[in-house]
Amino acid sequence: MKIKQRQLFFFLACVAPVGKLVLLPSDLVFRAKNDLIFPALANLLLQAAVIFLVLLLCKREKSLFALLEESVGRIAATIIVVILSLFLLYAAILPLNEQKLMVQSVFYDTLPSLVVFSPFFLFGAYLCSKPLFCLGRVWDILGPVAIVSFIGIIVFALGGTDFKALQPAGAAGAAGFFGGTAFTMSWFFDSVLVLSLVGKVEYKKGIAWKGLLCYLAGAAAVILFLAVFYAVYGELAVSRLFAFSKISRYFSGISVLGRIDYLFIYALGLVMAFYSVMPVQAAVDTLGDAFGHKKKLTPVLSTAFNVMFLVLAFLLNFQYQSMQKFISEYAFWIFPLFTLVLPPLFLLTRRKSRE
Amino acid sequence: MSKFKHFLRTVPMKLYIILAAFIVFAFFSNDFGLVDIQKTAVILAAGVDKEGDTFTLSTQIAVPQGNTAGGSATSTVTVDANGTTVSECISKIFSETGWVPKLVFCDLVILGEEAAKDNAIACFDFFLRNEYMPDSAQIAVCEGTAKELLTSTSAMDDSPTQAIQKLLTQSAQSSGKVMANTLKQFAISYYGASESGYAPYLRTAEQQSSTPGGGSAGESGGGSGSSEGNGAHEKPTVVYNAEQTALFTKGKMTGILSREETFAFSLIKGKVFAGTFTAQEQGKPVAVSILKNDGGVSLNMKSNPKAEVSVKLVLRLFNRGVPAPVNDIAEVTMSEELLQNAETVIRGYLDSLVTACKEADCDLFQLKTQLYRSSLSRFEEWKDLVPNAIETEIKTKIEKIK
Repeated sequence: MKIKQRQLFFFLACVAPVGKLVLLPSDLVFRAKNDLIFPALANLLLQAAVIFLVLLLCKREKSLFALLEESVGRIAATIIVVILSLFLLYAAILPLNEQKLMVQSVFYDTLPSLVVFSPFFLFGAYLCSKPLFCLGRVWDILGPVAIVSFIGIIVFALGGTDFKALQPAGAAGAAGFFGGTAFTMSWFFDSVLVLSLVGKVEYKKGIAWKGLLCYLAGAAAVILFLAVFYAVYGELAVSRLFAFSKISRYFSGISVLGRIDYLFIYALGLVMAFYSVMPVQAAVDTLGDAFGHKKKLTPVLSTAFNVMFLVLAFLLNFQYQSMQKFISEYAFWIFPLFTLVLPPLFLLTRRKSRE
Repeated sequence: MSKFKHFLRTVPMKLYIILAAFIVFAFFSNDFGLVDIQKTAVILAAGVDKEGDTFTLSTQIAVPQGNTAGGSATSTVTVDANGTTVSECISKIFSETGWVPKLVFCDLVILGEEAAKDNAIACFDFFLRNEYMPDSAQIAVCEGTAKELLTSTSAMDDSPTQAIQKLLTQSAQSSGKVMANTLKQFAISYYGASESGYAPYLRTAEQQSSTPGGGSAGESGGGSGSSEGNGAHEKPTVVYNAEQTALFTKGKMTGILSREETFAFSLIKGKVFAGTFTAQEQGKPVAVSILKNDGGVSLNMKSNPKAEVSVKLVLRLFNRGVPAPVNDIAEVTMSEELLQNAETVIRGYLDSLVTACKEADCDLFQLKTQLYRSSLSRFEEWKDLVPNAIETEIKTKIEKIK
């Protein structure tokens, strides 16, 4: 069973962008001020290009591990896949903790205890024990949900915007652009997620450029969101965390109807939940490919990884900023290495000629 | 042996189920972070005063009541506390009353005059940082202290908060008599290139009427608090007025716009619909009503920077202050003399507004922000000239209904 092309496109256009709507906007403003859309655009275009190359691999209709095994042998392939899985787990740290902070802050009106978020890892453990192709049906549902919610939030927010706040372009200078691009790369790892789907997506002609267009459509939505966010908050944007849950609250109808925008916020929150677990699920599935999907391996890995993240959430409960600083700033180079440099190299894999 | 092997094989699943059961138990035994409503202080409005380094936070808290015949379903209690920061005041309110202060419904923040003169942003800092406080809350400055204002007895409403919020509604702003502002907008203009802002300036006026508005006032609790209850004190009832506007530069209140200047500011913002002002015809007062209003201030940067203030109005005759013949009562068009006089009046208001802003060193029209947004190089060149050292041109276009 494979993921349908349509389902992959829903992921690229609708699910992948939502992971960039929580803490990324305020972080971009911190680094690039009113030029926030340029670093984001650079990262999205880089991701789009790599995703295009990765989707070309789908033509071979083999899993990542199978491609590697044919090319470099079983042992080397296993090592590469394990390293890639470790990166996926590393990439999941920020989104999962972002989810935790978002749930605690947005869905509660006083700071709740950490235990409130712990069932999320039950959900994570269940989801990760399922093979990646199961996500296809999930994306069929999440795609339209994300579209409707996103449009709802943007429409509600438009009334309170001042797009002139985005001027003058280039005010942050080269330092703002390059700093903003490099230090926010930890939010852009979609190319590796797509890499983990290679061989699990039904191949049809044109999948690469259609996938590219879908990802660019999602990228356009992210850019629009960032522009609206800054247009709503201006100079105050840097202090407004959890952007997607806030920009719609200034809609004039809310004073009469109450916070109806929460319908859209909850719906987007649901989409985010699946997106933030996906790196862990991809890690489990990729390791499963490498070790032959033994009967108990997947549930054990799934449980182990989610328990690990639960423990990490408890241990780092009050260290999010230090953790983010380490991942996004000090060790920022890890992300381009795995998300931009490594995936295109898989195109070089070739079956060893039989001698 | 085979039983033991079977047991070992099922250990992971058993562990998973035990873990799942534990987490579900922990989750459902939690109170979800919610605070018991009986212990929750739902703050409707906050007032901040400052004396030296000490803040005084006065909070108007809603207390749900049983609805009795002819009585009110909600009464309010005003509780205050002192501290070196606003959050310390909040903590004291909690420790002295046992009520958990909740800011989710706080839609009004009032600064006492001295606090506003000292630095408004120092007072707003707590509210801007608080994730649970809506930054769409309205702000105001009051004559005297915010504590006095929040413990006053409204002649019209159950609480001062309700009465003041009515003054700051969209329809009140449409009259041109009030320039409301929110915490968010104030902070944006403070942190922007202009570093200037405004807030409505509240005054109270005692009412001679002895009938209180169903509200309430009295003393209670904490080290310092007053609860409102019918006739607990024979305090004079008051009405509130927000027709003046406080000007801020770099967070400090530097001036107050008069009623006329506030009206002119509303006209520039283009917010006025159905507002009225008085002009003269043959030396007699005539009220005219505004049917359409456009306005704005732009920075002309062709050679030297110049501020261009423009106001466009469509007017109709609304009311005469002297007896008029019966045919005139149906008349809504204005004579040329009245139109000219109306234009003179508006220009006078606008002139006065521009002068007041210059005297207060306040970039009320965000000209420096406009300059910054249009050109970084020109901003560097002219930032010290704008707004006060540049020429201001006032353009008015006033038409009558035909």
